Amino acid sequence: MGASGIKPLGRERFWVAVLLAPTLFGLVFGALGSVLATVILSLTHWDLLTPPTWAGLANYGKLFTDDKFVTALTNTVKFSAMYVPGVVAASLVVAILMNRKIRGVSVFRTFYFLPVVTSAVAAALVWQMIYGKETGLLNFILEKLGLAPVCWFCAKNALYSVVIVNIWGAVGEGMIIFLAGLQCIPREYYEAATVDGAGDWQRFWRITMPLITPSIFFQTLISTINAFQAYDYIYMLTRRGQGDSSVPVVVFSIYRNAFNFHRMGEASAQAIELAAIVVALMAFYFWLERRYVVYE
Amino acid sequence: MKKHLVILVVFALALAACGAQPTQAPGASTSPLPSTTQAAAGEPVELTFMAWGAPEELDVWQQIADGFHAINPNTTVKMDVSDWDSYWTKLDTLYAGGTPPDVFAMDAPMYLDWQSRGVLLNLQPYIDATPGFLDGFYPEPLKGYKLADGYYGLPRDFQTIVMFYNKDMLDAAGVAYPQQGWTWDDLRAMAKTLALDTNGDGKTEQWGFSCDLWDMELCWSEAIWSYGGDVISADYTKTLIGEPMARQAWQMFWDMIFTDKSMPDTIVASEFGGDLFQPGAVALYPMGHWAIPGYAGSGFNWDVAPMPSGPGGQVTSVNSAGFVVAQASKHPEAAWEFVKYALSADGQTRLTELGLAIPVLRSVAESTFLEQQVGGRSINQRVFLDAVAYAHLKPIFKGYTLWADAVGNGIAPIWSGEAELGPTLDLVVVDADKVLAEEN
Repeated sequence: MGASGIKPLGRERFWVAVLLAPTLFGLVFGALGSVLATVILSLTHWDLLTPPTWAGLANYGKLFTDDKFVTALTNTVKFSAMYVPGVVAASLVVAILMNRKIRGVSVFRTFYFLPVVTSAVAAALVWQMIYGKETGLLNFILEKLGLAPVCWFCAKNALYSVVIVNIWGAVGEGMIIFLAGLQCIPREYYEAATVDGAGDWQRFWRITMPLITPSIFFQTLISTINAFQAYDYIYMLTRRGQGDSSVPVVVFSIYRNAFNFHRMGEASAQAIELAAIVVALMAFYFWLERRYVVYE
Repeated sequence: MKKHLVILVVFALALAACGAQPTQAPGASTSPLPSTTQAAAGEPVELTFMAWGAPEELDVWQQIADGFHAINPNTTVKMDVSDWDSYWTKLDTLYAGGTPPDVFAMDAPMYLDWQSRGVLLNLQPYIDATPGFLDGFYPEPLKGYKLADGYYGLPRDFQTIVMFYNKDMLDAAGVAYPQQGWTWDDLRAMAKTLALDTNGDGKTEQWGFSCDLWDMELCWSEAIWSYGGDVISADYTKTLIGEPMARQAWQMFWDMIFTDKSMPDTIVASEFGGDLFQPGAVALYPMGHWAIPGYAGSGFNWDVAPMPSGPGGQVTSVNSAGFVVAQASKHPEAAWEFVKYALSADGQTRLTELGLAIPVLRSVAESTFLEQQVGGRSINQRVFLDAVAYAHLKPIFKGYTLWADAVGNGIAPIWSGEAELGPTLDLVVVDADKVLAEEN
C-alpha cells in the first residue's frame, strides 16, 4: 500500500495550506504547545499558586527516590504487562468467534461492544458489586461451588481484579479492529488451503495468523498506550479516603501531585517519564513490525 | 534541523511570556488599607465567589448574593458551586492562570497550605476597621484562622462530630440510647450486642459501629484524644499517633473489627459506597451535621448523642469551612464587604437553611439553627452545639494534605486486615514525620 496519493499542484497548494491551517494551528499550539510546556514545567518547582522557580533536574532526580512514585510506576508496569497481552488475546478470540456465520451475530457483537460505550464510572460501580467481599456476586458463586471467598480488593489481589475489568472494557474495541482485519483476508486463500487439505488449525496458523499480524501490531500499540494511561476504572474501583487509591498508577500520581499536593513540577517530570517510556516501547514495536508483521 | 530549532525557541519564548502573567509575588505588596474610594466612585464591580457543594446549594448562595446586592447595588457577585474534587482542581487552575476568584471557600485544615504561599489577603486591616465584628463568633473555629499578623480567612460555619444512632436497631435489641457520659467501653459493648447476622448466613448484615478510618475527623482523632493521647505535637513537628495512649485507641478499633466483629473492615465498609448509616447497615455512626439532609429522608428513626468519653475525658472534633480573599483580587474592599455580609446575621441565617453546618455566629446558632427541622425531623440540634465545649480543633498546619495522605494511606492496610497494628503504626509515624520535616 503506497501512502503517496495525488500531489497538489499550483493554486491547489495554497488551498491545501488554508484548509489545513485550523487543524495544524490546534495541533501545534494545543498538543505540541502543552508538551513543550510540560517539559519546561518539569524543570521548575511550581505550586500553581505562586510563580514557578527554577529546579533544574531536581524533579527528575525525585523520580528515583520518591517511594510513592516508584510504587505507582511498578503498578503501571505490572498492569500493562498483564493488560496488553490480555486485551490482544481476548479480543482476537472474540473477533474469531464473531466472524462466523451464526444467528444474531450482530446482537453478540453489540454485547461485546457495550462496555466501550458505557460510562466507566457506572460500569465500575457494577463491578464493585460483583467483586464485593461479603455481598459480591463472584464470592456468592464461589461459595455456592464450595470454594473459599476471595478478597478481591485486598492489596494482593486488587491489581489483578482491576486488570480484568480493564480488559473487559477494552475487548469490544479490539474486536472491531480484528474483525476488520479478519474480513480483509481474501476468501480464496482459505478455499485454496481447503482444496490442498488443510484443516481448521492449519488454516488458522498458516493463513489467519500471518495475515492478521498488522491488526495484532496495531492493537498491541493502542493497548500499550491505553495501559500506560489507564486511570478511570482503576481509580473508581480502588479509591479510598480523600482522593487516595489503593492501587496508585502513574496517571493517578500525576493528577494527585499536580492538583492535590500542588507539585506541578514533579507531576510534569512524571508525565515526561511516562511519555518517554511509551515512546521507547513504540520504537521497539516498530522495530518488531519490520521483522514480523506481514503486509500483503 | 535549524528551522526546527528556531520554531522551538519561538515557542519557548511564547510560553515564557504566558507564564509571566501578573500573579502577585507573595509579600511584595503591603497590606492595602481599607478605603471606600471604590464604592464611592460608584463604578459597578463584579466579584466572583467559589465554593464546593452540591448543585442545590447554589440556590442558597445565590440568595446570599442577591441579599448582598440589595445592600450594595454597585456590586454583583457571580456564584460558582462545584463538587469537592472539581472545586480544588478548578481553583488551582484559575490561580495558575492568574485569574483567581475574589472570594472563595476554604477547608480549615488546608488553610495554612494556602496562606503560607502568600496568596491570601490579610483581612486584619478590614477587621480592625469594623470594631466588634468578631464578637459574636464562636471562638473555637475562629482560633484556626488567627496568625501572628492577623486573620487571612474567617470561618463561615463549622462541624462538631456527634454519634448518630439508629433508634430502631437499638429498640429492637433492647439497648438504651447513648447518654451524655457514656464511654468508649460502653460503645464497644453496645456495638457487640447490635452486630447481627439477621438471615443466619454466617455473615453480619447489621453492624454495631462503623466509621471512616482514613481521615482523622470522624472517629480516630476523637478516640485518641479521649484516651489521653494526641495526633500531632503542638509545634507540628512530630506525629503522635504511635504513642502509648493513642495505641490504646487504635487497639479498641482493632478489637471491634477483628475480635468482636462488630465493626466492618474497610473492604467490607466500602461495599456500602462510603456511608453505612443511610442504608441502615449500622447502629452507631459518628458523623457531622452535613450528613443530615441526606439522612432526613431515610426510612428509619434516628437521633444523635454526644461522643463517648475515654480515660482522658470526653473529646470530639471541630472543623470549619471558611471564607478567604485572594491576595490578587482587584476589588479587595468589595470582597471584604461580601465576606462581611455573608457573616452577618442575615447571611448566616440563609446559610443555616442549607442544614449542612453550624453557623459561626452564636446568635444564629442559638436561634435559627437550634429550631431547625431538616426534612421535617426534630433532631436534637443541641447536641451539636454542646459539643463545642469539649471539642478539639482538627489540626491546621502547613503540609496537612501530604501528612494526611501519609497517615491515611499508611494505616489503611491495618483496617483492611492485611497488616499488623503495632509495626505498621511504627512505619507510619516515620513516614509522616518525614513529611513534617520536609514541610518545615
